[in-house]
Amino acid sequence: MSGGRLRLSVNGRPTELADVPPEERLLDTVRWRLGLKGTKEGCRTGECGACTVLRDGHAVLSCLLLARDADGAAITTIEGVRSDPVGERVRAAFESAGALQCGYCTPGFVMALTGLLREAGRSTPLDELLEDLGGNLCRCTGYSTIVRAARAAREGLP
Amino acid sequence: MSATARPDGAVKLAGAAVYGEDLDVPGMLWGALVLAPVAHGRRLSVDLSPARALPGVVAIGAADVAGLVDGGTGDPERPPFPSERVSYLQQPVAAVAAPTRSLAREAARAVRISVEPLPVATDLDDLFPEWPREKIEDPARVAAHVHARRGDVDGAFRDSATVVAETYRTASVHQVALEPHACVAEVTDGGWRVRTSTQSPFGAREDTASILGIPEAALVVEGTWVGGGFGGKGAAFLEPYALLLARAAGRPVRLALSYAEEFRLGRTTLPAVVRMETAVNAGEITARRVRLLLDVGTSLPGRDFATGYAIGFLLGPYRAPAFEVEGYAVRTNKPPFGPHRAPFAPQAAFVVESHLAAVARAAGIDPATFKARHLWREGDRTPFGQRVLPFGLASAFESARALAARWRSEAPPGQGVGIGLGFWSTSTGAGGEARVVLSPTELVILQGEREIGSGSVVVGLAQVAARRSGLPVEQVRVEYRDSAGAPFDAGVFGSRTVGALGRAVDAALVSLLARLGERLGSPGPVTLAVLDGEIVAVHGSGRRRVAELLTPAETAAGGLAADGKHYGRSGEIDESVVLDGAFYAFTDFTGAAHVAQVEVDPQTGSVRVLRYAAFHDAGVVVDLPSARAQVEGGVAMGLGAALTEEAIWSDDGRLENAGLVDYRIPTLREVPPIEVHFLEGFPGAGPFGAKGLGEPPIIPVPATIAAAVRDAAGAHVRELPLAPERVARELKFR
Repeated sequence: MSGGRLRLSVNGRPTELADVPPEERLLDTVRWRLGLKGTKEGCRTGECGACTVLRDGHAVLSCLLLARDADGAAITTIEGVRSDPVGERVRAAFESAGALQCGYCTPGFVMALTGLLREAGRSTPLDELLEDLGGNLCRCTGYSTIVRAARAAREGLP
Repeated sequence: MSATARPDGAVKLAGAAVYGEDLDVPGMLWGALVLAPVAHGRRLSVDLSPARALPGVVAIGAADVAGLVDGGTGDPERPPFPSERVSYLQQPVAAVAAPTRSLAREAARAVRISVEPLPVATDLDDLFPEWPREKIEDPARVAAHVHARRGDVDGAFRDSATVVAETYRTASVHQVALEPHACVAEVTDGGWRVRTSTQSPFGAREDTASILGIPEAALVVEGTWVGGGFGGKGAAFLEPYALLLARAAGRPVRLALSYAEEFRLGRTTLPAVVRMETAVNAGEITARRVRLLLDVGTSLPGRDFATGYAIGFLLGPYRAPAFEVEGYAVRTNKPPFGPHRAPFAPQAAFVVESHLAAVARAAGIDPATFKARHLWREGDRTPFGQRVLPFGLASAFESARALAARWRSEAPPGQGVGIGLGFWSTSTGAGGEARVVLSPTELVILQGEREIGSGSVVVGLAQVAARRSGLPVEQVRVEYRDSAGAPFDAGVFGSRTVGALGRAVDAALVSLLARLGERLGSPGPVTLAVLDGEIVAVHGSGRRRVAELLTPAETAAGGLAADGKHYGRSGEIDESVVLDGAFYAFTDFTGAAHVAQVEVDPQTGSVRVLRYAAFHDAGVVVDLPSARAQVEGGVAMGLGAALTEEAIWSDDGRLENAGLVDYRIPTLREVPPIEVHFLEGFPGAGPFGAKGLGEPPIIPVPATIAAAVRDAAGAHVRELPLAPERVARELKFR
């Protein structure tokens, strides 16, 4: 990478970016360069989880990741989650469980859960899965419906 | 769509819902606020020239504002920027806009501020170590004073066998909506326009126009999806600054808070000190006395809304033949007090529930029996003389007592079970209007409110229309218009959306159905139904396609429109008891009894909540999944206020924990399973007997946890939150 050039695959689409300053965060690349506003900006300090995306299939906090450090990676955001079978299952589980209210934390939850289930599938005990979701904050739901969605998404896996 | 799916689920799960934070307009600049470096100071001087020297930067301060608004006579008590005196840390003193976010931040840092520091007032106990014997009239220190009395209070205290006096302290808590405040403003020849994440487009319009001194008609407010409100997005906040910047720049300006600013500048519930005294004779309360010091930050004198309201909740839903309440809204060097989901009611319920339990124990009576004996029932009079309307709290309490007895019988040593009660009155008096439009294929509700998450707009209003019309709810769509195109509504606050705006929707439907009836020549009731994908009007055994009932002009306009409005009235209080200040009447009576089972670590005092149940009187529930979700979410938020949430203000007026690591809201693993029950038979003032439910679920939670902690470990904690060190201290000295 030179001259701030960055190659990413974003939601399956090869993307080349120029003049990416070294301090730019992946969150800003996704939201402001690529216009994918489904990834939410909350605390910007890695505390709320609203900005979670997948990097090469693993959930990461895009506010803590320098864009240049993601050079060459495949990034999946909420806009592309349906093309991933696990992601679509998670998304559908959130919809049918009514696991959202204001919806601001929702993309982050969907991406985090998708990443966790992609890593270990059904073999992850539910308790561990929920423990790992603890880094995503929700102020509206009290998490009950989110737990229901997580359980349903996990049980629906092959 | 499953029974629990929401109509806004698909758009939010596609990442396609545009929130204030997501707004992006071609050519826009990024705004930033320049914040005061001290919490209190005078001889403020702001030098914008270093910022203006940066490329493409626009900067405005107090001196620029007057010239920016043509002929504007803004509210002199609320200038956007102070000209001489700073009254809280990080008060906006200027604003900048730049082509990029980083340049805007750099420009804000470049502004040179000089200010002569003054002594900082932050702590209520320092300011009022003793209860004042004479009324304090000092507008610099007191924003409001309220005082009311009924009966011979001193005599009752003198003559009663048991008198208990206690002091309670409650912490400042933040809303912590995950989306920070954000808006984009534009000023053109056509007028002033702001798109913003708001709970009240019309409230933001009124407030912004007043601050800027422009006519309301010159300003259009367009709401976005709202990433959580909880009271924090009700009035104008960033909008005036963004508009002034846009005016100065001649370009659209985006202004959003960072999350740390969200904490530091946010208007929310501030600390309180409450002195409670109760007298009992032969098992009956003879008199109550409540004295409240409520920190209202830099709220303006005469504009405090909270104190008179809060103090009513400190008496609780209990009968007392004699009472005296007195409260001061105390000004400190903090941001102004602002609404936070049921402002101060969870704190008040914690105080009154804990105190009356202590009173009962001192009088040798079982606390639950004592409370049940004094609890309001329909037809009773409140201390302020209002007649109690249908009110299910006593029934909720009975159900809670039965469940608590079962849980207690199952609880091992070290665990305890507690009950807390809470009551609330929803703001169904505040006015609203709506328009409905019936086309051959759908019923559309046109109105001005955006959905803030509770579902009260996208689900609640649709369910009201579905119930009245007979249509399946899937055939009803809620459509949003900006303030120029929408009928007026007061806002999504005070648990009023279904109760008040829902009444307007209902009235519009009634009018629409009556007009269809005229066209059908049917004097009887008309309802709507769907037949082969088309809406039909049903009257008796006959039915007609709506398509056939519309005039060509109506068809061309999209359907038959009808308007409805609701400007409700609240009850009246007995003004003869009021000695000073303003107290507020209740519109309706909403109550809940909660039960918690907790485990307390005897060494550390840390509390773990194991299971939870909530019994609510919500009148007639119009949508069960949404109602359940409101209770689950409200309980979780209440657990934060009960156990961990506390904004800590240093002596120099700095918020010490302005972030989500140090200000801890409940995480997924800290919220236990929550049982939710609704009690039927206590209709409210809303459509079909609905009562509001946005705020009530948070109210009983701290009281419930405190009762459970006492049951588990004997600790009677008189301070919120019940942080481990406070619980441990009570355990030690017990």
